[in-house]
Amino acid sequence: MQTQKAMNTFVKETGGWVASQLEACTRCGMCAEACHFYQATGVPEYAPVWKVELLRRAYEQRFTVSGKVKLAIGIDSEISDEDLLNWSSYVYHACTVCNKCSMVCPMGIDLGTLIHDVRSGLAEAGVVPADLAAAVQKQIEEGSPLGMTDEVYADRLEWVTDDWEVDIPIDKEGAETLVVLSSIEVMKFPQNIAAVAEVLNAAGENWTLSTKAREVVNFGFYEGSHSHTTLFLKRILDQAMAMGVKRLVVTECGHAYDALRWTAYNLMEIPDSLEITHITGLLGEYVSSGRIKLKAGAFNEGKITFHDACKIQRKGGHINEPRQILNILSPDAFVEMTPNREEAICCGGGGGVIAIKDADPIRYAAFELKIDQVKKTGADTVVMSCSNCRLQFTDGKEHFNLDWKINGLTQMVADALAD
Amino acid sequence: MNWTTFLHFTRGPLFQVSLLIFVGGMAYRLVRVVLLGWKGDKAPAKGSKLAGVAKTYLKGFLIFPFIPWVKRTFNRNPIMYLAGGLFHLGLFAAILLGTPHMLVWKSLLGFGWPTLPLPIVDWLAAASIAAMIALLFYRRTNSLLKLLTGPAETLNWLLVFLPMVTGYIMTHHLFFQYEVLFSLHMLSVDVLLIWIPLSRISHFMFYFFSRTIHGVEFGKRGVTP
Repeated sequence: MQTQKAMNTFVKETGGWVASQLEACTRCGMCAEACHFYQATGVPEYAPVWKVELLRRAYEQRFTVSGKVKLAIGIDSEISDEDLLNWSSYVYHACTVCNKCSMVCPMGIDLGTLIHDVRSGLAEAGVVPADLAAAVQKQIEEGSPLGMTDEVYADRLEWVTDDWEVDIPIDKEGAETLVVLSSIEVMKFPQNIAAVAEVLNAAGENWTLSTKAREVVNFGFYEGSHSHTTLFLKRILDQAMAMGVKRLVVTECGHAYDALRWTAYNLMEIPDSLEITHITGLLGEYVSSGRIKLKAGAFNEGKITFHDACKIQRKGGHINEPRQILNILSPDAFVEMTPNREEAICCGGGGGVIAIKDADPIRYAAFELKIDQVKKTGADTVVMSCSNCRLQFTDGKEHFNLDWKINGLTQMVADALAD
Repeated sequence: MNWTTFLHFTRGPLFQVSLLIFVGGMAYRLVRVVLLGWKGDKAPAKGSKLAGVAKTYLKGFLIFPFIPWVKRTFNRNPIMYLAGGLFHLGLFAAILLGTPHMLVWKSLLGFGWPTLPLPIVDWLAAASIAAMIALLFYRRTNSLLKLLTGPAETLNWLLVFLPMVTGYIMTHHLFFQYEVLFSLHMLSVDVLLIWIPLSRISHFMFYFFSRTIHGVEFGKRGVTP
């Protein structure tokens, strides 16, 4: 373990943006009330403020008078290997970086981003949970953490094309829109690929998939490593730029959208001519402009609720589009959970948590908050626009033996396309 | 040295020195943080950053403290919410709208303003003191707050509590001779002024940074902060 590397990363991350927010924290502990992992387990160390503690200590020890005094008189100690191991379990196992905590912080501190910075330090020091590190390694070598190699990708796409009888353009020259799927969709929800294709074809979009930019998932971003994040982003963006597309569409994947839409610009040069958007935004645009027509009331039986994903809704801003669509498809059946929209409770599986086997018990515990929320609405169907959430919901449904139907927004739209 | 000379010292030279340390110390803290550098954000915004900032201040200043259900933290953490809010309300009412304090501001700034009647300030100060005691008790019993509380947090509490309680007793002419209480009040204020730049009580300055950042982050994503 290389503790010094973590320390150096923390110091490097600490500009005015980080420092001023660390200085603003009063240690009131209110953020804990927003954290699904703290709520579900009551473990004080899972409070967002405590997850950031390592970064604060590094900042104070290196940059402030009081921090140096604390170190000198023994109130604080140098960051140790043991600290790194402990924080690794707090920030990787018990945090989905959903950033709900920032909404209840009386000071408005952007805790999610600060926790991501803690992850960055731990990644540099090599204190990433084994499962996550292995997935990153797999993505480096095979191009996907879920074993979606070139051959698997080609096979799956061929199978979807045949079985769903849908046209899927691949490496089409002159395409304006490049769609990049997540391996979760390709491996676990292939019906989503067909749905994306049906919707884009119906809209008359000049689009394509790429055999080079084929994985939107970015485990380097989960890990917090800048170099791995950049490596995986470049695989997509270099190809998008080489093809000269105008638009890059991220399908139902949350953190990949966060990485591409908000982070990539600060890690590399991206031309203004390339628009990066999420399929949820695109669906809203198609419906508003009339490029696709939906059968009104196509899903109007029972009760349907929508799960807001942290990276697509709260951090991505695509909050209204799903409502707009569900109000057409399910005018009577659609019910909101409480709290919802930007204040929604996270599913508990994002941020890489679902990939860490050791985190399973707390992941299920956090999901119980979601079960509670859904049960209160009386809904029998839960819709979402994130495949990672969908994986958590499908897994949670099985684990808790729930009688729910889990659906993806794009799939509902595809199923309700008017002829 | 008798109490009268001690009072002259604590409200005269010592107060002035403390004030200088306070202002200088806070300026140092501010400059130190600002000079750490600010990386620009190159991601194209989806919504208005300015609107986000405006909304978050509106919520943070006006709605959040008075309409607790807006953030739904009230149900989960009513003690921190109520006691924390009451403490700040009483504190600012006393140091800004209490007549004796306004006169101090007037002597420093050269102008004054209307103040609240004494009984109102007095009740708010009493509520503030009660809230502080509740907060200390809560810090000592809640498992998360115990984890977050070190010697610095306890000292913060004590150094804010002393001026509040001496001020309150002084207003009511209780227990001690007036000069004694006044001296102790001024001494505790002087110590607090020196302590603030070294402590987290400085959050009142950095609040404006974190709140603005919050507004920018949510605003650029087109999300209500």
